[in-house]
Amino acid sequence: MTDRQLDVLVICGSLRKGSYNAALARTLPALAPAGIKLRDAPPFERFPIYNFDIQHATGFPAEVNTWADAIRSADGLIIVSPEYNWSIPGGLKNAIDWVSRMKEQPFKDKPVALQSAAGGILGGSRMQYHLRQSLTSVDVILFGRPEVIVTFAAQKFDEKTLELKDQTAIDMIKLQLAAFEKFIRRVSAKE
Amino acid sequence: MANLNIVSICGSLRKGSFNAMVQRLLPSLAPDGMTIKPAPSFAEFPLYNADIQNSTGFPAPVNTLADAIRAADGVIFCSPEYNFSIPGGLKNAIDWVSRLQNQPFAGKPVALQSASAGPVGGARVQYDLRRAMMFLDAFTLNKPEIFIGNSASKFDEKTGELKDETTRGLIKQQLTAFAGLIARVAAKS
Repeated sequence: MTDRQLDVLVICGSLRKGSYNAALARTLPALAPAGIKLRDAPPFERFPIYNFDIQHATGFPAEVNTWADAIRSADGLIIVSPEYNWSIPGGLKNAIDWVSRMKEQPFKDKPVALQSAAGGILGGSRMQYHLRQSLTSVDVILFGRPEVIVTFAAQKFDEKTLELKDQTAIDMIKLQLAAFEKFIRRVSAKE
Repeated sequence: MANLNIVSICGSLRKGSFNAMVQRLLPSLAPDGMTIKPAPSFAEFPLYNADIQNSTGFPAPVNTLADAIRAADGVIFCSPEYNFSIPGGLKNAIDWVSRLQNQPFAGKPVALQSASAGPVGGARVQYDLRRAMMFLDAFTLNKPEIFIGNSASKFDEKTGELKDETTRGLIKQQLTAFAGLIARVAAKS
């Protein structure tokens, strides 16, 4: 039996154009196994700061619904994010907070893998462990290993093109994506 | 005791927030000489993006909040927990001000409080805030911790009054301990 190709959504936690994490996210399609097709999530940049009173008065903003629908329709998610102040970027957390309030909560039972890149020696790992903590709250199915933690990002991405040049990181990403495909197939609801 | 000016930051934006009720209550529980005022709002901050910072600078509301923090002798966070961690909006506010020169939390005494409808009372938001505050070189008060669980039974939802005497006592203790921390860590002039 031939397995159908999996639809995996990539969410980037940084909004800046020159972001190493956005660059990391762009490398993924070329490194993914044939069984996975990657697509970028819609932006969360325009989400207002979460306020229950907005939700109650005017409902979920359109952008929030768009983001949630993209998550619901995906077979799995890869979140690629920087670390801000030893934790999750507020903007990304705000996006999670919004959709967490929905009926048919989109993260529920969704397989999720994490990646991060950062300039320092820890490579954004503290963000990843906080994200694991928060994503547990929204009931995802977290992928464990291998972890993709790109340390010393300035040395590993081309300064001008932002292309990932580090072979060790490239190999680790390939390993993760291949393992994530198996993981999704294993934990997905049986049809 | 010298006069202390404290700003309080509420992590929730909703009007009926239990944490906003806690925040409003603080002035009445403060020790002599301590004034506690709400910080300017972060509700209108855009989501952090270094490209905004580099092209048009820090948004005005970010500077306003940062100035209020800098001018204060200490900061008290009253925040709910969202999805086992810091509310994204509050974290976004911290992320913005963390990028300023003369970073406002550096060397700043900070105390934490949280209220929630459930039994844990927001413990996880506090430990995550502690970590972010440690990175920003704040002095975060250790004890007593204020976790107000089962808030619906402790607050009068209409008046916002905290009916639970144990919790009121604990907050008074914390504010007194906070004054002690501020006295200890304040830059010697």
